[in-house]
Amino acid sequence: MKLKKESIGYVVAFTFVVCVAFVALLAVANQLTVERVKANQSFASHFAVLKAFGLADASTARDQVESLYASRVKELAAPAPGVSAYSAKIDDKSYAAVKLTNPGLWGPITAILAADPKAERVRGLEILEQQETPGLGGRIGEPWFNAQFAGEKVGADGKIHVVQGSGKGDPDKENSKVDAVTGASRTSDFVEALVAKALGDIRAIGGAL
Amino acid sequence: MSPAAKKVIKDGLWTNTPIFVQVLGICSTLAVTNNLYNTMVMVLGVTFATAMGCWTLSLLKDLIPRKVRMIVQVLVLSFYVIIIDILLRAYQPTISKQLGPYVGLIITNCILMGRAEAFAAANKPGLSFLDGVMNGLGYGWVLLAIATVREFLGFGTLFGIKLTGASFTPWTIMVMAPSAFFLVALALWGANAYKAKAEAKAKAGGAKPGAANPGAGQTAAAAKR
Repeated sequence: MKLKKESIGYVVAFTFVVCVAFVALLAVANQLTVERVKANQSFASHFAVLKAFGLADASTARDQVESLYASRVKELAAPAPGVSAYSAKIDDKSYAAVKLTNPGLWGPITAILAADPKAERVRGLEILEQQETPGLGGRIGEPWFNAQFAGEKVGADGKIHVVQGSGKGDPDKENSKVDAVTGASRTSDFVEALVAKALGDIRAIGGAL
Repeated sequence: MSPAAKKVIKDGLWTNTPIFVQVLGICSTLAVTNNLYNTMVMVLGVTFATAMGCWTLSLLKDLIPRKVRMIVQVLVLSFYVIIIDILLRAYQPTISKQLGPYVGLIITNCILMGRAEAFAAANKPGLSFLDGVMNGLGYGWVLLAIATVREFLGFGTLFGIKLTGASFTPWTIMVMAPSAFFLVALALWGANAYKAKAEAKAKAGGAKPGAANPGAGQTAAAAKR
């Protein structure tokens, strides 16, 4: 028997069945992987905190990350909703770090910034999540960009300026300036604001360290 | 190998390649080609989604009512794109982080819908799968060629490996989207000029010389989509 493919009943039933089937498959796939995804996210966050403190780098082995995190990093009480705070002792000096989410050009940027308790010099910056333009603003996640912040002196205005430079990175750690990503002026503004806010948060919690 | 399969392979990689002849997938060409690694990820995503999507749609084609066929195509194609995203997030988080912003770009890629509508809707599943793979690769080699030029001139690197000395000044324009317009246009021009020449040569044996380059009309029609 040939089905009446163009009849309204068939069209509605077919569309319904197809939608339910494919959505169900997606739901199952999502449900089966949800624990793994959570574990991956927590690992990525711990790894980024260690990298921001300078306690780990890209070559650190995966199994070392959790033990390093457990032994070196102390999780502090959240200073504000949506902000996580951490501290670590490195060479007998205390450092503080915050994880926060701030607006970006296309979506929120989540980053971890570590600095000394008075927020006078940045220890490190790691971008955890961002949805900036691929190839342009999206490059703020690249190591060369983040490495510019490590050791950078914070300006008198409490900021590190993300400005147009040579496009090769700014090696001067005393001028409170880093090279912006070429073709991503707006994203650079958002990074500058995020870093300024993170430094403010660190100053707020730094007194207790 | 059957002649039909041979034709599908040749069409996908050269005669009817997505970028040069169908002029599909141009938006992603502009977006991702300033970096070879990102281009690679994009090409693999598009190839997988097109091939699997076309295979599934070809299996279902006798059941799909004409009225809702495009809705079903979008559903099936986006299903595969989301599946890639879910699996990568769980098992390859590093690649997933790289791919993140591209997931949206894969599903908006006109090659997926274009092949589903033009090929999978009228051909057998195996052949549709092959057509998806070949179109993905036909799209891929053009993209990789453009990305090689853009990354080398824009950053002085290939796959992130520095190839130029410290005195090299990066061509900022190559990093920005406009340079992709220039390069795609130049590549299109070159490929079509080469094809026209090859056709003219083939017909020089005595056939109608006025009928050279029949592909041009097709290109213009496809570009309007």
